[in-house]
Amino acid sequence: MTEFAHAAEPPTTRTRRRGRLGVIVIFAFGVVGAVTVMAICGSLIAPDDPHAQNLAVSLAKPSHAHWLGTDSLGRDIFSRIIAGARTAFLGPLVIAAGSMVAGNALGLFAGYRGGRVDSFIMRWVDLMWAVPSLVVIIVVAGAVGGGYWLAVLLLLVLTIPFDTRVVRGAVLEQTPRPYVEAAKTIGVADARIMWKHIWPNVAPVAIANSFLVFAGALVTLSGLSFLGLGAPPGTPDWGLMLAEGQTLLFANPVATLAPGAMIVITAVSMNLIGDWTYEQLAGRGAER
Amino acid sequence: MSSRAAKVAVREAATTVLTVDQLHIDRLRSNRQAQTIVSSFSLSVAAGETVAIVGESGSGKSMTARAITGLLPPALVAKGEVSYGGRNLLSLKEREWRRIRGREIGLVLQDPFTMLNPVMRCGRILEESTLERGLSRKARRTAAIARLSEVGIHDPSVVERYPFELSGGMRQRVAIAAALARDPTVLIADEPSTALDVTTQREILSLIKSIQIARNMALILITHDLRVAFGMCDRIYVLYAGSLVETAPSAALESEPLHPYSHGLLLSEPPADYRMRELLTIPGAVPSPDEVADSCSFAPRCRWAAAACVQAKPPLEQVVPERLSACVRLHDIRGEMAAVRDRATGEVHAAVAISDEPSLIRVENIHKVFRRGNRRVVALEDVSIVIRPNESVGLVGESGSGKTTLARMLVGLEAATSGEIIIDGVSASNWADLTQKQKRRLRDSVQIVFQDPYSSLNPTLSIGATLNEAITTRDPRARNVSARAAELLDAVGLPAAYARRKPAALSGGERQRIAIARALAANPRILICDEPVSALDMSVQAQVLNLLSTLKRTHGLGLLFITHDLAIVRQMTDRLYVIYRGRIVESGTTAAVLDSPTDPYTIKLMASIPRADVGWLESTRTIGTGLPQVSAHSARSTSR
Amino acid sequence: MIYYALRRLAVLAILLVGVSFAAFSLLALAPGDPVGILLGDAPRTPATVRALRHEYHLDKPFLTQYWLWARQAVQLNFGRSVQTSLPVRDSITARLPTSLFLGGYAFILTLVFGVGLGTVAALRRQTATDRVIVGGAIIGLSTPAFVSGVFLVYVFAIVLHWFPVFGKGSGFLDELQHLTLPACSLALIASAYVLKHTRAALFAVVDQDYVTFARARGLPYRRILFVYILRNALIPVVTISGLMLAFLITGAVLVEVTFNLPGIGQLLVQSATTKDLPMIQGVTIVVAAVIMLSNLLADIAYEAVDPRIHLGRRSK
Repeated sequence: MTEFAHAAEPPTTRTRRRGRLGVIVIFAFGVVGAVTVMAICGSLIAPDDPHAQNLAVSLAKPSHAHWLGTDSLGRDIFSRIIAGARTAFLGPLVIAAGSMVAGNALGLFAGYRGGRVDSFIMRWVDLMWAVPSLVVIIVVAGAVGGGYWLAVLLLLVLTIPFDTRVVRGAVLEQTPRPYVEAAKTIGVADARIMWKHIWPNVAPVAIANSFLVFAGALVTLSGLSFLGLGAPPGTPDWGLMLAEGQTLLFANPVATLAPGAMIVITAVSMNLIGDWTYEQLAGRGAER
Repeated sequence: MSSRAAKVAVREAATTVLTVDQLHIDRLRSNRQAQTIVSSFSLSVAAGETVAIVGESGSGKSMTARAITGLLPPALVAKGEVSYGGRNLLSLKEREWRRIRGREIGLVLQDPFTMLNPVMRCGRILEESTLERGLSRKARRTAAIARLSEVGIHDPSVVERYPFELSGGMRQRVAIAAALARDPTVLIADEPSTALDVTTQREILSLIKSIQIARNMALILITHDLRVAFGMCDRIYVLYAGSLVETAPSAALESEPLHPYSHGLLLSEPPADYRMRELLTIPGAVPSPDEVADSCSFAPRCRWAAAACVQAKPPLEQVVPERLSACVRLHDIRGEMAAVRDRATGEVHAAVAISDEPSLIRVENIHKVFRRGNRRVVALEDVSIVIRPNESVGLVGESGSGKTTLARMLVGLEAATSGEIIIDGVSASNWADLTQKQKRRLRDSVQIVFQDPYSSLNPTLSIGATLNEAITTRDPRARNVSARAAELLDAVGLPAAYARRKPAALSGGERQRIAIARALAANPRILICDEPVSALDMSVQAQVLNLLSTLKRTHGLGLLFITHDLAIVRQMTDRLYVIYRGRIVESGTTAAVLDSPTDPYTIKLMASIPRADVGWLESTRTIGTGLPQVSAHSARSTSR
Repeated sequence: MIYYALRRLAVLAILLVGVSFAAFSLLALAPGDPVGILLGDAPRTPATVRALRHEYHLDKPFLTQYWLWARQAVQLNFGRSVQTSLPVRDSITARLPTSLFLGGYAFILTLVFGVGLGTVAALRRQTATDRVIVGGAIIGLSTPAFVSGVFLVYVFAIVLHWFPVFGKGSGFLDELQHLTLPACSLALIASAYVLKHTRAALFAVVDQDYVTFARARGLPYRRILFVYILRNALIPVVTISGLMLAFLITGAVLVEVTFNLPGIGQLLVQSATTKDLPMIQGVTIVVAAVIMLSNLLADIAYEAVDPRIHLGRRSK
């Protein structure tokens, strides 16, 4: 008389945090989308040529002709902000993507294989903790000569160990788990285990981390430009504009505050998207 | 201490001290909907009486304990009445609760490893729990030592130690001492021994019982194990999916359960004393309370379910004096239930046919030493075992005995430090030395099923993908892979449609079946089962055990059963090895070893199995009416 | 515990040697000829070139140069600045106190606001207060020190006139006032980090069995909060705070430039932009040493706070 017997139902799933976060995340996506568009085709949208100097209207406050006013050389701030999206976007993108690829590969190896590769990587990471990346870049960039892409390259090299450590930590959590051991006992090849078994379970952490890396790289790169060691003078770069505008705080504060605000808003949006991505990815396919 | 003597005097008049009436616990979700955890729970306990709340996971038993002490997690809300000292405790404010907790009602939690503050020394933990204030340092220390000796710890240095320096059993004793520090009238013990080793479990339960008798406390014991309840308690409340299905005095429940669930639970828990003819299973898995809100909570899984059972929720009614049952069909099926019970418990003497086939697995003088930093840990010392094809062999030991290490060595996850392992003619002590072909041969001979079904399947892969991988890894040129996968699913009793599901959608029992199916993909001759059912609910354990027995018959599988549970070994194995601290201390046929153990450790292990008889805890029990019988011998625990 | 500290100090010394070697190699890595770099703006005559070659041992093999240089470096003699021709050591010692003051001030602010607000947010979980604090933390995390510096200057100095705009000030109280805005902007990111981690640590602790068991024994709320919750949450917070020290050094560089403070950070940037190699080398070593020492202190603090660590080490 077991017609009332039924197949087992799934265990209670966790309630996902939606709703409130939805509005803010949409805003974050909007900001990132806008910055992407500006980076790609900024010259098409900007009302003025960001490099055009017009000393006659220098230090003008915001007006109809110049929405955010002009800087000390009469350049339109609004156009420069749009143009600055390029350096704010490209460098961090390269760093985030490059660090993710290299960091994940190294982290998988170090975490799964252990042994000498692992020890070496951990020593390298420890060394990185000893000296902060900004200081290293300042010193090297200063000695070798500045430049935007040099800074990007240096920062990429210095970020990879952190990504590696994050991924390695996640991999170390997964490796002793029975499903990995079961795969080993069946005879699945190591490479396949790392790629098909471990990485998908580590991916939420890795991907979410990339967004945070992007935000961090944006902040560091604009910081370098602020110090004069990143983008060459004259480039429309938010950090550089902030430095240039510092002396103008009394005359046209918008010249400095606007690029600063752009840096913050973009970084915040990336951080929010990173957190949201983690929640989405980790919610799916989670055990228990 | 005079107040304590006064309390004892008052309690001698064995009246009911705590009553729970129609307790409902709901979880409030973010979308304002309430999810039922427990419904209509009622209980009463008198001074000196022990009652048990028995249930599996998902029954709501732990939450009941929390509700009685006002410690429910934030999202949970309790309604109903909990009467103590003339007040309804559920209406108390937090400040008033602080006078009740510890002083009137004590609570001991399940896991001794997380129950004590890791940054406090044990002496401080005890001191802060007592009410005595303003004592000198020396007096405080003496008081702490006195309390420790009440729980069987006679080493005064424990007072200065941190919890992490003590074993699980010692930590539990310290916790019990702390819980009793304010001399409560009622003690609630939530699975107090589940997290401990089998041999320690009995000591702790015995300790609790003797303290209860000495102080004439009321004790509410929460457990999933019916036999523990039988051995310790006067009355039992059986909880299933959030509702009470039966209450009865324990002796009566043991001799005749009056609800199909209790009946099923009793029969699916194998005894260690003899081999049952068949293990009765309860099909399906435990539902959530809301799914069975308008019917008998057990109906979906009950073999006697009828239309009357799903029309409305059956009330808990008195069917026999002192016994309540929530089964509407009880009068009809009582006879059938008894018949089923008689049939199933008929003893079977396993045909002790020692096979004379050549061994398939031969382990000879294996040593395994782990190096952790500069420490040497000897996991296995001079271990030798033999497994023949078609045999079912048990390896019994507690945690830390090395049994899992041995299992891992047999499938190539660990290498032996010295000694020889020969599997199907291939020397397998270190798999790194083998060729691919040899490894393939070994994998076709031996496969393993791990303990934790919740993490032995890759959560991101569907069931079908997992099985396909197992099939194609063994034979990359296999055709009709999905057909083979469906065959495997069928062999473990699951529908082919499950291939599309992900592990998160399955219950623990089903996941374990998938793990078995995966192991079968390689068509092994021996299946190693490392604690295959200890993470599963009681009512589901029998399903998996029966499946393994069936597979042994139909596929000609040999089994190596690794477990700490002697009852399972009795049911499932023909031969047996007992391992203790890395050494094999006893071996032989299962019947011989379990009926007449010779090694002191084996004897201790046998004695630790919960039994439903009076002598199990070396203390007295109350019978029938709930009045305490004064114990003849000392109530102090003599075990360390 | 002593052995552990000594072992760590030895490792620190080795790391420092490594850093010094890297710093020294910059001279070889930099484009251009070492003599030209070291001369800077000074006229290039055979006499000056010879003097320079002699002073910096440029004729000797690389490793000998390193050894000679390192010997001097240990005595904190890094040569003379290319820009000012004054001894590097003097500039460093003149500026180090300002940076340390700034760093210490910011560290205190970080702990007070980070731990304080993090605790408030955790105890008021899921309420509006919690959400506001967390929102503020997210913004704080994304606001680099130079941006927040400029914003703070604009609002508090230019618009509100509460604080002076630039400079360091003299005398303790005056310095305190001058350094408040820089310290705040420096502490912003760090306290956001500490806040997040404190809040997370408290969440983790509040759900632990030992807290429930403490409540079950009827212990007073205040005791549970301090001895059970905060004391255990302290452990991860101490770890994070240790990491923050290195963070603060990074930010200090930016803040000193923003506020034009005569500190080590500003010195580093100036020397980098002017390719003043001896100065770069000296400042790098000093900064690296400060960071490593503070990491070591943080690790020791972590050991002290968690009995499982140092007792566990001993008993095994």
